[in-house]
Amino acid sequence: MIKAILKRASGLLLTAVALACWGTGAHGAIDGITGPTFNLTAKTGYISTADGGSYLMWGYANGNGQMQYPGPTLIVNQGDVVTVNLTNQLTVPVSIVFPGQSGVIATGGVAGLLTREAPASGGTVSYTFTASQPGTYTYYSGTRPELQIEMGLVGALIVRPTTNPTTQAYNHPDSQFDHEYLFLLSEMDPRIHEYVAAGRMDLVDNTTYFPVYWFINGRTAPDTMAEANSPMLPHQPYNCMPMMHPGEKILMRMIGGGRDPHPYHTHGNHHRVIAREGRLLSSAPGSGADLGELAFTTTVIPGSTADAIFTWTGEKLGWDMYGHAPGDPLQPGEYAPDHGKPFPVVLPGVQELTFGQFYSGSPFLGAMGALPPGEGGFNPNGGFLFMWHSHAEKEIVNNDIFPGGMLTMMLIEHPSMMLMNP
Amino acid sequence: MTLRRVVATGATLKELDMSMHMAKKVVLPLLVSLLAALPAAAAVKVQCPGDTNGDAQWTGSEVQPANTRCIHLAAGDGFVTMADGKLQYSFGFTDVTGVPENQVMETGMLAAEFSAPTIKLKEGEHVYLTLSNVGMVMRPDLFDPHSVHFHGFPNAAPIFDGEPMASISINMGSSLTYYYQAPEPGTYMYHCHVEATEHMQMGMLGNLYVTPLQDDLPNGTPLNLNGSTFVHTTGNKYVYNDGDGSTYYDVDFPIQIVGFDSRFHDQHIAIQPLPFAMMKDNYPMLNGRGYPDTVNPGALAAPAENGGKLSQKVSARITATAGQKVLLRISSLATVDFFTLQSLGIPMKVVGRDARILRSSTGQNLYYTTNSVTLGGGESVDVILDTTGIAPGTYFLYATDLNHLSNGPEDFGGMMTEIVIS
Repeated sequence: MIKAILKRASGLLLTAVALACWGTGAHGAIDGITGPTFNLTAKTGYISTADGGSYLMWGYANGNGQMQYPGPTLIVNQGDVVTVNLTNQLTVPVSIVFPGQSGVIATGGVAGLLTREAPASGGTVSYTFTASQPGTYTYYSGTRPELQIEMGLVGALIVRPTTNPTTQAYNHPDSQFDHEYLFLLSEMDPRIHEYVAAGRMDLVDNTTYFPVYWFINGRTAPDTMAEANSPMLPHQPYNCMPMMHPGEKILMRMIGGGRDPHPYHTHGNHHRVIAREGRLLSSAPGSGADLGELAFTTTVIPGSTADAIFTWTGEKLGWDMYGHAPGDPLQPGEYAPDHGKPFPVVLPGVQELTFGQFYSGSPFLGAMGALPPGEGGFNPNGGFLFMWHSHAEKEIVNNDIFPGGMLTMMLIEHPSMMLMNP
Repeated sequence: MTLRRVVATGATLKELDMSMHMAKKVVLPLLVSLLAALPAAAAVKVQCPGDTNGDAQWTGSEVQPANTRCIHLAAGDGFVTMADGKLQYSFGFTDVTGVPENQVMETGMLAAEFSAPTIKLKEGEHVYLTLSNVGMVMRPDLFDPHSVHFHGFPNAAPIFDGEPMASISINMGSSLTYYYQAPEPGTYMYHCHVEATEHMQMGMLGNLYVTPLQDDLPNGTPLNLNGSTFVHTTGNKYVYNDGDGSTYYDVDFPIQIVGFDSRFHDQHIAIQPLPFAMMKDNYPMLNGRGYPDTVNPGALAAPAENGGKLSQKVSARITATAGQKVLLRISSLATVDFFTLQSLGIPMKVVGRDARILRSSTGQNLYYTTNSVTLGGGESVDVILDTTGIAPGTYFLYATDLNHLSNGPEDFGGMMTEIVIS
């Protein structure tokens, strides 16, 4: 059952990972569009869930592009005057609100409850604000949000700091990273989408909301691990496939894009939450993230954002994670006291074990081992993979099918392996 | 569930209620057929340095190496009783440390415990945990492997992380030995990660914590961090290596938030498709029990259906003498919901979360006083109740999600326990 589901992503993932040996060692960065002027169009489209489901969504598209879920990640620089022009191709009014931004001026359109709205079927509205503070933010519809955010009108906004904009999240070295990834978490009750698709919005009842799909960046596992901009998922361009080498730092930009909180757990190590809602956890200006907290599980709250730094060195395992003999040279960054220490147990024989698709056949980093035919295969460079997932385990399913949902695998490659960000 | 082939047995299992006589009639033929179905290489095998007879302990002439700990757990199925009397089929771990290898299968079958045996480690110990899969007696059609995920252990390597997609898990009739050097002190947790949604809902969840080396300092050692005048006395216990005595406690109690969806368990024993999408816990529990069973200081009565084995051994009753500092090691392995635990009458001081002291990066303690803590699955928190000035009596620790103060349809009980101060 697990194999069948993972085959869905197998072709693309294997291609992508196999290219890692010859890749350009891409610096893991966030997919998105830069401004500071953006032209977004609200339109409909169907998204795909990994159990074969197909559901109508409403989403923000980049100009004349495809509707996408989530909306395009808007990337601007601290101090930019940001303008977002929204054109509405839906049959209902739509708008955008920018929580955390001050002084947002809306022009055009018609007055709405939270902000000015673009009228249905071709209406327009514009929003302008100065992105004065760096950080991770979100944007979503301010029109009938209990329906429209569920339908998919949500996205991420990233404001890069003035200092070291591509290697820091904020203007302090505590936010330094080597790779950054987006984790926009959301969930879906398919009945709402089916009613809307059938033209029966009057039947939508939010009091009986009961999600059975869970998403990271608009995809259900294992699609989370397929390549970005996959032709198989035209309305879900973003993936979530974090990668690093030992000793590097991953910036996790976490956004609650639905209506439920989700306890997000990183296998492999703690992460350090350094900021919430676009503000470093600082005791005083200039003190960096000194109030940051180490966590192995962070609750991602609806409408809220959090930034965390994850690192992994493999120190203090008590055995040499490279499988070195004592005379072998040290890897850069290797924890010297464990160098050459033997693997501490005898692993059972192949008949006694069930192998994971991401197991290389060897417990050592960068090493492969013999596996029975058909086993493994998703880890061609012998990396270490760790599941990053919602720890409300109900949420790592696709409807009644396990595994799925709010789950991805973080890949740590041997230091000599180039990272390919698929 | 993994359904590879159906093993014909001599017994049909339609009724949920079985007499002890019937259980014994069933267990032996199933034992024989299960053992016959195992591959020839399958064997229970303990790996424990210095232990030569395979019972995971050092007796007679066997020498325990310095700072080494061996544990042997069996994983399989069993039965537990909810506080309203409802019998529930479950999966779980049972402690078979000390059981000879050739008796582990029979001892472990149908012996699943909920909560799983509490594991208490000392910082820096070399821990060898052997996991033996004794199969599912009541579901002979299932060939599920099992694993142990040491939730929160930092800088883990996949081979011992217990997450099966990235490594290995152990098949029926065989053993896998995990090795860890017990990490930094704090409150962690452990659970099976194979088919996580199913195995965790079915009850393979346990408390795990690590005590600090600061406990073992020489008598009279000053703990002077940040100007503290605390002096260590032999017998003192601390949550962390705080350096200032600020996490000192007198007595500690692990309290794990868990829950059962009774329909899921009933469908399981009835060999029906499992309702993942509709999963909703209706038996909220602490340490595998609902109130008033939570305050039973001993093991709950053994159900006849598992052959009379004690399956709920971890009490949630909190006792102290007035003036003592009581440490609550609270963790959540609930698979569906968030829960808030409130202490009525005794303030809570939160000194750590996710097994890390609440302290700024510049060494300032960030402890805070509260009346409640909220946890999602996979989170933990260390709470010290200071009973100085608290009048002796019975106090309550309970879920303020008041609908969870119920045992299924019984409108009384659920996630509540007593703090008895004498």
